[in-house]
Amino acid sequence: MKRKILSALLCVAMTATMLAGCGGDSKESTDDNKTEATDDAAGDDAAGDDAAAGDDAAGDDAAAGGNKLTVWCWDPAFNIFSMEEAGKVYQKDHSDFNVEVVETPWEDVQTKLTTAATSGDLSTLPDIILMQDNAFQKNVISYPDAFVDLTDSGIDFKQFGEAKTAYSVVEGKNYGVPFDNGAVIAAYRTDILEQAGMKIEDFTDITWDEYLEKGKTVLEKTGKPLLSCQAGESDVIMMMMQSCGASLFDDEGKPALVGNAALKKVMETYAALKEAGVLVEVNDWDQYISTMTTETVAGTINGCWIMASIKTAEDQSGKWAITNMPSLVGVDNATNFSNNGGSSWAITANCQNVDLAKDFLKSTFAGSVELYENIISCGALATYLPAGDSDVYAQGDDFFGGDAVSAKIVEFAGKTPSNNTGVFYYEARDAVATAMQNIVGGASVDDELQLAQETIESQMQ
Amino acid sequence: MSQVKEPKKRKMSLERRHNLTGWAFLTPATLMIAVMSFWPMIQAFILSLQTGKANNLKFGDPLANYVRMFRDNVFMASLGNTFLYLIIQVPIMLILALILASMLNNKNLRCKGLFRTAIFLPCATSLVSYAIIFRSLFGVDGFINTVLINLGILNTGYNFLGHATSAKIVIIIALVWRWTGYNMVFYLSGLQNIEYSVYEAAKIDGASPMQTFFKITVPLLKPTILLTAIMSTNGTLQLFDESLNLTKGGPANATITMSHYIYNMSFKYVPTFGYAAAMSFLIFILVAILAFVQMKVGDKRD
Repeated sequence: MKRKILSALLCVAMTATMLAGCGGDSKESTDDNKTEATDDAAGDDAAGDDAAAGDDAAGDDAAAGGNKLTVWCWDPAFNIFSMEEAGKVYQKDHSDFNVEVVETPWEDVQTKLTTAATSGDLSTLPDIILMQDNAFQKNVISYPDAFVDLTDSGIDFKQFGEAKTAYSVVEGKNYGVPFDNGAVIAAYRTDILEQAGMKIEDFTDITWDEYLEKGKTVLEKTGKPLLSCQAGESDVIMMMMQSCGASLFDDEGKPALVGNAALKKVMETYAALKEAGVLVEVNDWDQYISTMTTETVAGTINGCWIMASIKTAEDQSGKWAITNMPSLVGVDNATNFSNNGGSSWAITANCQNVDLAKDFLKSTFAGSVELYENIISCGALATYLPAGDSDVYAQGDDFFGGDAVSAKIVEFAGKTPSNNTGVFYYEARDAVATAMQNIVGGASVDDELQLAQETIESQMQ
Repeated sequence: MSQVKEPKKRKMSLERRHNLTGWAFLTPATLMIAVMSFWPMIQAFILSLQTGKANNLKFGDPLANYVRMFRDNVFMASLGNTFLYLIIQVPIMLILALILASMLNNKNLRCKGLFRTAIFLPCATSLVSYAIIFRSLFGVDGFINTVLINLGILNTGYNFLGHATSAKIVIIIALVWRWTGYNMVFYLSGLQNIEYSVYEAAKIDGASPMQTFFKITVPLLKPTILLTAIMSTNGTLQLFDESLNLTKGGPANATITMSHYIYNMSFKYVPTFGYAAAMSFLIFILVAILAFVQMKVGDKRD
């Protein structure tokens, strides 16, 4: 009798776990940072925690129809918060509207999009997805049938910074509504600069050569480098490239690394910074954030979304200030402005109610200053230019010495040069990162650029 | 005469019935394996003959992808890395597992269960979690560097993951940590099959522990060693999680593995599924060849 009961219980347990397993997947993906600035950011968040991603069951997050829109995006504190706020803003005029956000890390969004589009079955996709700006060209050109053309949707794209909008323009058509601002800022610890006898103004509108010299002084007097970044990620290089409007690809889409004077200058600058110790490399995202929170470095240069991570060190409030990044020396069109990361909203071709989706995006992310005022609390800064004029944006941020950082950043975004991301952006990024690591290890810049170009060409086949 | 035939008929139909019953039980599983495994394999092979990006796949030169692989310097680097892991990590791990198993097989050892669980536990951890933890352990400010600095061996933190050789060593250490327990369990069960009387006889004849180990334990465990060697080869050639999460392909492609590169080709870069399928097939062929070689060397049946 006992054995019968025991075996019956075991059967029930087995069936239950089987059904639970079939019902849904809990993936062990990790939470993303706001934008993709580094590929690693897609792997972990500032705290390095694992978070369960959204449910995999096709029915749940596929396009909804009716008065509901489903959205895939990542980062509960930033993107998801913003999308839900947008839903509330829209609900004021459309009471039966509902937006359902499914938390999906960027890498998963990319993988699911590729899988759905390759198999030809778009039914698993939601109505709206958030897409990294750098991935727009690749995805839209590879799978043009998966996205809705937004050019004539009534959205006024001129209200957004031109460089930002350009990311989601493919063959003259708009495919994305720009969202979060990735304008590059240079953030410094004013108290450490003071110890070295300098002020934040000494770092405004400077060149990289001046930055190197001042960085050496700071290192001498305080022992702290000015900048940290992840080894193996080309963020700093790409930021420098975009600051002078240069690209890794030419107008015909071919890799243009060899003979690219701007790229050569960028790599030499990076190598010089690393050698002087003004730039330190760390291995992953968590270590990068901790260099700032544990005061190992005196500053950083990254997209403005990095402010949210800097602010996690509450005891450093009032000790930081931001300004623009240094410009390249000896290169045409060099500026002090650039962009790193950022994403835009795209409507997938699986959307059942395209008009609703277009109207929703038009009234919120492309039309509501109120929305941008609401989401500024999470650090989401607009690329929507009218929002930059609002009073909320003009308020000072005590963490950064009372400076009106938001308005400053929107201004930076407006001055950022655009560049040609290219379809093969990720191939180029990795090849450049590999080349940079070899150059730092002592290889010749020209040889490495040649090798990198050959790698990209072979991968473009 | 009819009496002679009847028993024969009954014997045959009983045999046939047994055979048919056997086949009836096997058929559903065979069908499922054929549909879920073999059919996709054939389709993958067909895919590997196609070239083109994203959905623009077409049949060009059938061997184009295979030829392309050997001209791709990143792929050749990943091939080299994967083989390095195979040649260095698998022997170390198997020998360590064997030694641990024979130590833990000792009848007189107390808390055997505790030791066995402790060594097996790493294998129950999630691949992603352990890779991320190892990454932070070996970081410039990580635990290992702190310990080494406190012991006076180093002055400042060494960037383990930033140099090619040390990054590879970190991956090998991580793999050994994770899979030794798994293989140890196989050897333990193999060791249970060796009668204690053999060891007693060896002791009486005056054999030292080393001699016992090499001349008695290892030869008797040959089938188990063969099994674990083939499984480890299979697993190491398909290595992915460590490359992606621990080193992200390593300083300048120094630790990237073939599967990681296939993932990049399929999802990170502009999707090139034909080429990725060709690379997967190469891994399949390599595993098949190595398994065949190992069986020829190790399996003395026949």
